[in-house]
Amino acid sequence: MESETKSEGKPSKSKIKKLKATKRMQDIMLGYYLQGRQAERVGWVTSGAPVEFLYAMDIYPVYPENHGALIGASKQGPYFSSFAEEKGFSQDLCSYARCDLGCIFSETSPVGGLPRPDFLLACNNICNTVVKWYEVVGRIYKAPVFLLDIPFVRKELKESYIDYVENQLYDFIGFLEKTYDTEFDEGKFKNVLRLSIEGVQSYGDVLSMGKHKPSPLTCFDAFLNMAPIVCLRGTEVPSIFYAEMRQELESRIKQGIFAVDDEKYRLLWDNIPVWYRMRWLSEFFIEKKACMVADTYTNAWTALIDINKKNPIRSLAETYIGIYLNIGLDLMVDAINELIDKFDVDGVIIHSNRSCKPYSFGQYEIQRMLEVPSVIIEADMTDSRAFSESQVETRLEAFLETI
Amino acid sequence: MEKVGYLCTFTPKELIWAAGFQPVRILALNQPVSLANSHLQSYSCSQARGSLERMLKGELNFYGVIFTRSCDTLMRLADIWEKNSSMRVYNFEFPTKLHESSIGFLRRELYDLKSTLEGWSGKEIEAEELISSIKLYGELEKTLNMLFEVQPDYELLLKAQTQNPIEVLEESKAKLEELGRKEELKSRLKSRKALVTGSVCPFPGIMRLISDSGFTVIDDLCTGSRFFTFDVEYAGINSIENSVENSVEEAIDFLAKKYFQKAPCPTKNYENERRFNYVLNKAKEVDAVIFLLLKFCEPHFFDYPQLREKLEAMGKRTLLLELEFPVSEEQLRTRIEAFYETL
Ligand code: SF4
Ligand code: SF4
Repeated sequence: MESETKSEGKPSKSKIKKLKATKRMQDIMLGYYLQGRQAERVGWVTSGAPVEFLYAMDIYPVYPENHGALIGASKQGPYFSSFAEEKGFSQDLCSYARCDLGCIFSETSPVGGLPRPDFLLACNNICNTVVKWYEVVGRIYKAPVFLLDIPFVRKELKESYIDYVENQLYDFIGFLEKTYDTEFDEGKFKNVLRLSIEGVQSYGDVLSMGKHKPSPLTCFDAFLNMAPIVCLRGTEVPSIFYAEMRQELESRIKQGIFAVDDEKYRLLWDNIPVWYRMRWLSEFFIEKKACMVADTYTNAWTALIDINKKNPIRSLAETYIGIYLNIGLDLMVDAINELIDKFDVDGVIIHSNRSCKPYSFGQYEIQRMLEVPSVIIEADMTDSRAFSESQVETRLEAFLETI
Repeated sequence: MEKVGYLCTFTPKELIWAAGFQPVRILALNQPVSLANSHLQSYSCSQARGSLERMLKGELNFYGVIFTRSCDTLMRLADIWEKNSSMRVYNFEFPTKLHESSIGFLRRELYDLKSTLEGWSGKEIEAEELISSIKLYGELEKTLNMLFEVQPDYELLLKAQTQNPIEVLEESKAKLEELGRKEELKSRLKSRKALVTGSVCPFPGIMRLISDSGFTVIDDLCTGSRFFTFDVEYAGINSIENSVENSVEEAIDFLAKKYFQKAPCPTKNYENERRFNYVLNKAKEVDAVIFLLLKFCEPHFFDYPQLREKLEAMGKRTLLLELEFPVSEEQLRTRIEAFYETL
C-alpha cells in the first residue's frame, strides 16, 4: 500500500517516523499481486472469510477489499468508483465495492487489475454488502458465488449457529473439490491452520507493542502493515514478517525512539482508516502530541482459532462467527473498553464511515457507553468526496482540548 | 390485545398471532426525522430512520419487536432500538442463504422464536392455535392476491400489515365481492402497464399517483405484493390437524417451507438467480418498469444496474425513482408523467 506522499508535499519535513517494515511489506504485497497473474486457481474472498481452505487447496485468494484500500491510499477512489457509477451503481454503495467494480469495468487498476475468479467466497460475518457485491461480480464473470452464511450474534452465540456454519464449511469443501476435481487434503489443511494461528499470534504481538508508554508505533503503522495478515494468513509470510516488525519496534524502544515525540495523549481509532488522508491525520496527531496507540479494525484480525479442540473445523466456525463486526453493540463495547484498558487510552476517535453501515450504525450508542471521552468524525474510507478536511480538523482540535 | 412489532416481511407473523399478540409491521411515516438523528446516521434509509423516529416519539406502543436478519441497517437497528425503549427486542436470524441446505437452520430459529414469544406471553403456543393462525394468514394472503388481480388496493394492504388480521380479512372479502359485481372493471384497464419494483413504500398515495398518470400497476414491492406472495401449497396444512402428536412440529415445518418460498427479495441469496428471474417474469406482461427504491438501500441498489440491463434487453423502458422521506408527491408526479409521455 502506498502512503500519500506526492500530493501533500513536504515529505522531507514530515515528522512521521516510518518503519522499515513498511517498505518490506510493500515488497511482499507486490509479490503477492504478481503471483496472482500466474495463479492457476483463483478465488475471490471477503476479508473475514476462512481463507485457510483456499490455501490448503493451492487456490490463490484475491482480496478486493485490500485492493480497495490500496486504491484509497493512492487517492484514486473517486476515479475508479466513477466507472461503476456510470454503469448505474449508486454513489451510496460501499466504496470498496464501487472501486472494485470500477476496476473491472475499466479493465485496469493500480496493480493492473485483479485476476479473474473461478469462484467467489462471500462470508457475511463482516457485512451483507459483500453478498450483493459478489453476486454482481459473479454475474460479470459468470463465476459461482459460494455464500458462507454467518448468523449475527446480537447477544449470545448459539450452538445452532455453530452447527449451521460448520455444515456449510463441509459444503464448501465439497464445492472446492468439485470445482477443481481434487480431493481435500486434511494434513495440508492442518498445516495451513497452524500457520494461520502463528501469523495471527505474531500480528497480535506487534499490535500489543502499542501498550508501551510511550508507544513505538501508531495505528497508522498497523493499518499500513495489515495487508499480510489479511491476504497471506495461512502461509509462512505473516509470522516471519511480523516477527521482524516486532524486533524493529523493540529496538526502537531500547533506543528510546517513539512514534510521537513527547506523547501526551493516547488515543484509539474506531472503524476502517480514512485511506486517502492517512498522512494528513498522522501528522495532525503528531503535531498535537497525540499517539493513536490502537484501533478496533486491525485488532479484529487477532481472534485465535482454538486448534486444540477436537474438531478444528468446528472451532474455525466458532472463531469466524465471533469476529468483531458480527456481534451486537454491547459485545462491541466490551471489546472496545477492553482495548481502552489494555492500551491505557485517554480518548477515542470514531470514524463514522459512510461506506460501512455495519461498522458505523450504532456508533452513537457506543459513544454513550465508552469508559473514556470520544469524538465522531464523518468520512469515508476511500471516497474522498465525503471528506471535509476543515470540518474534521475543527472537530478533532476541539476534542483534544477537552481531554 | 398486546402488539408485537416487526419490520421485515420474512418475519413469521403466524407465530406472533398464535402467541396471542397482534403483529404490527413498523413503517416510517411521511415526515421529517429529528429525534432519530442522534441515534442513526443520515446515510441510513428512510424506513429505518423513520421507524426509529416514531418509536422515539412514543408513537409505538408495543410489548416487543422482532427484528429479522435482512440488511446491515436492520441488523444494527435492533440494538439501537433496545437501548432507547422499554420494549423487548428479539433478533430472529432468518438465513441469508436461501438454499435447500439452510432450511434446517431456519426451522431451529423458528423454534427459538416460538419459545421467545412463549416467554413474552407467559403461555405455551398450542398446536391448534398455531394451525389456525397459519390458516388465517393463508386466507388473508389468498384473498389479497385475488383482490390485487382484479384491482390493487394499497390502503387495504397497509391495513393488512398493521391491523387486526381477522378484521382485515373480512374487509378484503367484502371488497372482493363488491368488485366481482362490477361489470365495467375490465374495461377500466388502462393501455399502459407498469411494474413497480423496489423496497419499502408505505404510502398508498404514491401508488395512486402512478396509476393516475395512466398506468395499470402491478408491483414487486416489499410493502406490496411481496407481503402476500408465497409459493406454497396449503393442502398440507389442512391435513395436519389429524395427526395430533406431531402437529406442532409439522406446523413449524410448514412455516419453514412457506417462508422459504416467499416472493424473493434482494436481501437474500438464492440459487439459480431466483430473484432476477422472478422480476423478469413479472415484467413480461408490462410496458415499463419503475424502480421505486429507498436511498441508501444497498440490497436493492446493488441489483439495480444489472437488473435494469436485463429488463432493457427485453425491450422494457425503465425509470428509477429514489425516495427519501418525506417525499414530495408533486415532484414524483412530474417525473412519472414525463416518463409516461416517453413510452
Ligand atoms: S460494507 Fe463495510 S465490511 Fe462490508 S465490504 Fe464495505 S467496508 Fe467492508
Ligand atoms: S429499505 Fe433496504 S436498507 Fe432499508 S431496511 Fe429495507 S432492506 Fe434495509
